[in-house]
Amino acid sequence: MATMNDMPDHIDELLTAYLDGELRPGELQLVTVHLDGCSNCILAFHELKETRAALRSLPMLRAPESLVPHGHDEIQLSAYLDGELPTTEYRLVFDHLQECADCRANLHELDAARTAIRSLPGLDPPEFLMPASRRVEHKWPAVQVRVAAVAAVAAVAALVVGVRSFPNTAPVSIDLDSFANRHVARASVEPGFQVIPAVHSGGSHP
Amino acid sequence: MSDDLIPTWEDVARSYGRKIYNFAYRLTGNRDDASDLVQEVLLRVRKGLASYTPGSFEGWLWRITRNAFLDSVRKAKRRPTSPLPDDDRISLVSSPSPDEVLASVRLSEDIQSALLKLPLDFRECVVLCDVVGLSYEEIANAVDIPVGTVRSRIHRGRKMLRGLLTWPL
Repeated sequence: MATMNDMPDHIDELLTAYLDGELRPGELQLVTVHLDGCSNCILAFHELKETRAALRSLPMLRAPESLVPHGHDEIQLSAYLDGELPTTEYRLVFDHLQECADCRANLHELDAARTAIRSLPGLDPPEFLMPASRRVEHKWPAVQVRVAAVAAVAAVAALVVGVRSFPNTAPVSIDLDSFANRHVARASVEPGFQVIPAVHSGGSHP
Repeated sequence: MSDDLIPTWEDVARSYGRKIYNFAYRLTGNRDDASDLVQEVLLRVRKGLASYTPGSFEGWLWRITRNAFLDSVRKAKRRPTSPLPDDDRISLVSSPSPDEVLASVRLSEDIQSALLKLPLDFRECVVLCDVVGLSYEEIANAVDIPVGTVRSRIHRGRKMLRGLLTWPL
């Protein structure tokens, strides 16, 4: 456990950077470990946090219309809808929405479109891609299917890379037999699908 | 705004005008100064866009803004700050009670007043971070100082501000 004496003089400054997510590599652990055991720094951190919150609560003033056209930005609206705007941008769009019926209507339409896209049914992958023990009967949401597909591709890629990179190292946690069986099964139903001989270290496999 | 596209002057005015105005107002506490700065920045942007090559657009824009601000500080004598404009009151959008409105306005006035007491170097970094929403790296790029200096100025600025405000908020 780090003590106050172990900390650099600028620990206070690190707390501000920590609050802003601006610590350099290696500093995060220093700060979190220190915060774990130093009530003074916890107090200082909360005060810094309150100060920042106060600053960020300042209203965004409207510039004179003669200087700045008050815009309607659909890209901003989509990011607003998805919660992807930084705080200051969010406040600008939020303020604008209070006074602009056109943008409120646009936001409503974008929300409806997003809901429609997200309600698309998920599709189960072909059975030969699913391990028997993990097959599920329900329909997966589209997002989950996409994530699962990416994860599956990544897993296969990692497997191939791992096997090629370390041909003499037996995989520990990956069930190669199961993978090879599914691979062979796919070859039996898909004309033209080539069976690639599995690479194993030591011993033979069916 | 994407870094590989050259925006039009109107895009810049629409997307950044309000931020530039708020940056200027929070630094000066003066609406006229803020309006002048927006005008000056947009003028410089209009001229500069002809020779602008795609890159870090925000870095380019905030360097212009900051230079325009420093030029205006050098030229103008310090003017007394004006009270908060009516805008501060009407942009409270969530229909709070009259007491809450009053408390918010007082808080805004207190913070603005405290901000104006910070040294300009600190105030500039704090405003770019907490009002404009730039990252430390973007601020370093705009102000042309190392990121470590940005970090130090933001920290010291907020800490001074904390000392100037009445706690708890």
